[in-house]
Order: sequence, then C-alpha cells, then structure tokens
Amino acid sequence: MRYRSVAVGLTLAAASGIAAFALTSAAAGSSAAAPASETKSWTPARTAWGDPDFQGVWRYEAAIALERPSRFAGRELLTDEEVARSEQQEKEQESKRLAGEEGEAVGRRSVAESPIRGNEYNSFWQDHGRPRKVYRQTSLITDPRDGQIPYTPDAQKADARTAARYGVGPYESYLDPDTGERCLTDGVTGMMWQGPNGGHNRIVQSPGYVTILHEEYRDRRIIPVDGRPHNGIRQWFGDAVGRWDGDTLVVDTTNFVDRTNYEWASIWTRPSETLHLVERFRRTDADTLEYTITIEDPQTFVKPWTAVIPISRLPNGTQIFEYACHEGNYAMPNLLSGARAEAGKKAASR
Amino acid sequence: MPTPLRRALIVIAAAVAVGGAVWTQVPSTSRGGDDPYKAPRTADGKPDFSGVWQALNTANYDIQAHAARPALALIPASPRTGIAGLGRATPIDLPAPPVRALGAVGAVPAGEGVVEGNEIPYQPWAAAQKKENLEHWLERDPEIKCFMPGVPRATYMPYPFQILQSSDVILMAYEFAGATRTIHMTSVGNSPSQSWMGWSRGHWEGETLVVDVTDFNDSTWFDRAGNFHSDALHIVERYTAVSPYHLMYEVTVEDPKVFTRPWKMQMPLYRRFEKDKRILEYKCVEFVEEAMYGHLGVIDPATGRANK
Repeated sequence: MRYRSVAVGLTLAAASGIAAFALTSAAAGSSAAAPASETKSWTPARTAWGDPDFQGVWRYEAAIALERPSRFAGRELLTDEEVARSEQQEKEQESKRLAGEEGEAVGRRSVAESPIRGNEYNSFWQDHGRPRKVYRQTSLITDPRDGQIPYTPDAQKADARTAARYGVGPYESYLDPDTGERCLTDGVTGMMWQGPNGGHNRIVQSPGYVTILHEEYRDRRIIPVDGRPHNGIRQWFGDAVGRWDGDTLVVDTTNFVDRTNYEWASIWTRPSETLHLVERFRRTDADTLEYTITIEDPQTFVKPWTAVIPISRLPNGTQIFEYACHEGNYAMPNLLSGARAEAGKKAASR
Repeated sequence: MPTPLRRALIVIAAAVAVGGAVWTQVPSTSRGGDDPYKAPRTADGKPDFSGVWQALNTANYDIQAHAARPALALIPASPRTGIAGLGRATPIDLPAPPVRALGAVGAVPAGEGVVEGNEIPYQPWAAAQKKENLEHWLERDPEIKCFMPGVPRATYMPYPFQILQSSDVILMAYEFAGATRTIHMTSVGNSPSQSWMGWSRGHWEGETLVVDVTDFNDSTWFDRAGNFHSDALHIVERYTAVSPYHLMYEVTVEDPKVFTRPWKMQMPLYRRFEKDKRILEYKCVEFVEEAMYGHLGVIDPATGRANK
C-alpha cells in the first residue's frame, strides 16, 4: 500500500481531487498560449509496425478544473494576463510545496474548509513534483458549453450525498467505504486524468493492441485495435474496442457492469449498464496527449458530455510501480473497528 | 529414442498433415530435419510470443507429483467404532468442514508435478514450515485472499495470461487479480522496493526469452500446497516457442534463505487460440471481502454492536 493510510476517505484522489483542488488556481493558457485542442501540426512517430506511437508514461498535470468554477462563468478561455498570473502562482506554490508548506499556501483547501479533520496530512499525495501546467481552458468540460456535468436530478442528489459522507462515513460495513477505499478502482473514466496520486499511466503498444497500465489499483486496459466487435461480456471497465482514425486512437467502450450500488468517490466515474464511453487519444506535440472523452449514460446524465484533457508525457525512463492496495488494506479492518468503537461510545453515553 | 521435444514436434507435424485447414493461418512448423522450431518475428526481428497462453496442469494445486485427494483442507476422520473383534472399513481423511460441501469440486486432481527430479531442496526448518503451511492452507494461501500471485505461480494458475510484446518492454498480463508484469528489455534501474510480482528484466538468448526476476516480498506461495520462499527469492524464467501453439516454460528458483540449492520447474504453455480470445476481468477483491471482513459484521449505529 503506497499512499493509502490510516483514515479512509483520504484518497482525495482521482477526479474529485482534481476538481476540488484545481479551484484555487484554475488556470489558463500555457506559454504555448493555446488550448491543446487548437494545436494540430505535430505528427507522431510510428511504432515499428506503423501505428502512431503513444508509448511512454503519462500523467495529467494541468491545473484545470473539471467543472468550470463560477468565477469563470460564461468564459471558456482565459486572458493572457490571467495565464501569466496563473503560471506565476503555480511556480510560487511549487516552491512552497518543496519547502514543506501545506494548505492554502500550496493551492490546497485550508484545514477549515476541509470536511475531514487532518486533511492536510494528505497534501503530499497530491504533489506533482513540478509546477502544474497552465492552459487557457477554464474547465476540462467543453460540452455542454457551461462547463458543468449535466447530472440528472437524482444523480445530483447522489453526488451531494457522496460529497457529504466523504471521509465522514458512516462506515458500518466494508460496503460503506468507496470503491477506491475498497481497493477496487476509482473507475475507468477518471483513470487517465487522475493526477499525481498514483495517476501515472504507462501506454504500451503491440501489434493490434494498445494497453494502458494505470498505477493506482493497478487498473489495466488491454484495448484491441484490430477491428473486432464488442464481445458482450459486462465488466467494470466495459468492453473496449479501438480503431485508428488517422493519427487518433478512438476507443469505444460499452458493456459496463452495473456497480451503481457501490459508493464512489465521484459518482460520474461509476459504471452502469447504460454507460457508453468514447475516447479519442491524439498527440498534439512531443509531450502532450490530447485526451477527449465523451460520456453518455441516461442513468446519470441528462445528455452526453465531453471533456478535453491535456495529458503530459513524463521524461524517458519514468517507471510506474506496483500498487498493492488490497494486499495491504489495513485501513479496512481498522476503519471498521474504529467505527464500532465510536458507535459503542456514543451508545453508552446515551 | 526421441526426446520429449522432438516427440512434440512429430505430433505437431502429424497434426499439420491431418488437419491442414486448421493450421494454415500459422507459420509452418515443417522446417524439415532436426531444426528446432523458430517463432515468427516481430517488426524488430525478435521471436514473436504475443498472444494468450495458459498452463494445463495441476501445478497450482501442488508443484510436486501428487495423487488425487478429497480436498486441500483435510481433517483426520475419527476411527470407526464397531463391535469388538469384527473388522470394519475405516474412512480416509475427510474434507475440513468449511470446504466439505464442495464435494468433488473441492477435491484435488492428481498431477505428475513440474519440479525437476520432484524434489524441492528445503532447508530442514523450511520443510517443517511447508508442512505447517499446508495444514493451514485455508488461512494462509494468498490466492484465497485475491492477493497478487507472484512469479512463477502466476504463470500456471488456472487462468490465461497475455503476452503483449513491444520493443522496449514486454507485458505479461495475468487474468487472476488483474496482475501485470512489465518485463524491461532495455537497461532499467534497480527496483526501489520489494513487490508481489517482482522486478523483471529480460533479454533474448537466440530463440529464448530469458527473464531475471528479483525484489520479491516473502508473501507469495508457489502453490496451494504451502510451498513458499523468502524475500531472497531469485527467479530466472526461460520462454521458448516449440510450435506455433506451445511455449516451453522453464524456471530456476534460487533462495538461499529457504533452499539448500537452486532447483527447476518446467512445463509447456498452450496458446488459447479461440477467435478474439481476450484476458477478461477477474476483479476478485469484491469476491473475498465477505471472507476477509465479514466477521466484523455490520455495525448498528444505535448500539455500536455488530450484527452478523
């Protein structure tokens, strides 16, 4: 168990983490000063067998919120000034982070804002190791235009409920922690852009396949890119089939299993039988993978939505390591016995 | 006398002759004479082992030769009492109560074993430990808890694995517990820590993929029979194609803390060549949570007590 520790609910991980933490520094166009989606001239190298080569270790390290923060309402792009300010802020926060500062100084929520007592313990989980990258986008979500997840009313309630119980419980059974805390997964839709906490993805290509190894939970996708049809077997990660559209890898995934009965750190990452996922992977320059994801699921969303996510290539030689989460999930029995002790105390004092 | 390898080739050649239609999509094995089989080549000229493979043996029950028995967890049957002086049949060992209802499904199929010479050279204390492990199989076997199976056990579990062959790395993607190994084919630094699946560095020796695996923890087993190792385990695997449908898999096991000398295993691996065969999910964590945490019950917030 590499990062998970004592208290449950601390994996501010995945996208919920990105969405929450990016708010204080939600950012703007990079020094390249263009959203990834507008750069089109670069041609990727080819593998020995002729496919566009996406191999390497990748990580989302942009400072863009998933949903558009209210202060950017009505604006899809930032100004040059905002970009410059944001880049400066990222650099400052990074040096403070390296100096061991935490909380607001490094762009995190303050202890007072945190729903979890001792939340600041978690700052190191979110350490990028280098300043976050600044882009012009004001939200990862590009469609709908307002940059918000188009939840159904029921899903909106479920999302609020999830946020409210995050790190707080109840924890009456092993079913109560979220799927991440149970060492299952945080979901396929959040895997590529999870960010620094175990969010590295190694892409390995072989003739007819693109394989993505995600460090956290050792999530793995072996995507056939050989023209085969969907196989009809329902899985947590669905049934992915890929194809090349020029230099773009298009992956269509259906046949997800229904696990909406479990707790999820972010409900938009949960699989259901009606989920349909289309992903487009395109290299826009040597160090950037533009990852476009369109999520459709009438159980959770009133309409499909799309996010455009710039993902960074890490230096050659970067490795991902074994993530033995379940094997070392001491948090689970500790959490359950802690909850039992707490409930016992409360009952006794009544 | 033909060697086992040559015998396999003769069988394959016969199959090609008989069932030509089935075999036309794969490279011919009939190179004539005594030439060993040569696998097709990848784009960069290396033997191409890509595909889905699976062992077909009972090594995951017990890597040593073993007769069939009623269950992995056995208890001695109590002696049958009867009328003094009259002979009566007595029972064999019985399946332990937790697995008894499984009947023939829970029994152990026999196998010739995969250990060269069938002897595992345990140090005396380790031989005793192995025996004790077997007696406590139900509590101790990491497979039961859906823990990553380690190497070489991952190879001969009753689940397929896929070899995905790129230039700088080769992936071994196992179905069980979703474990994956990255075989580094170019220079890579040392492992920063111990791990369940080890740290794998590979190279080609002619037709053979040789993988040197180090930096294991001491938590995995070789089989359900309690065969074990320490964190000093060092594995060398050799994968050699002997036909389009078979890899020969050889393992050298070294662990100076547990064994008196290195020892070897060998077995064929079979290609799963069903159309569009994939490695499917086997996310067994959710299958074992009740076994691992169910005893903690469900806490009633009103009383603080667990309802079981």
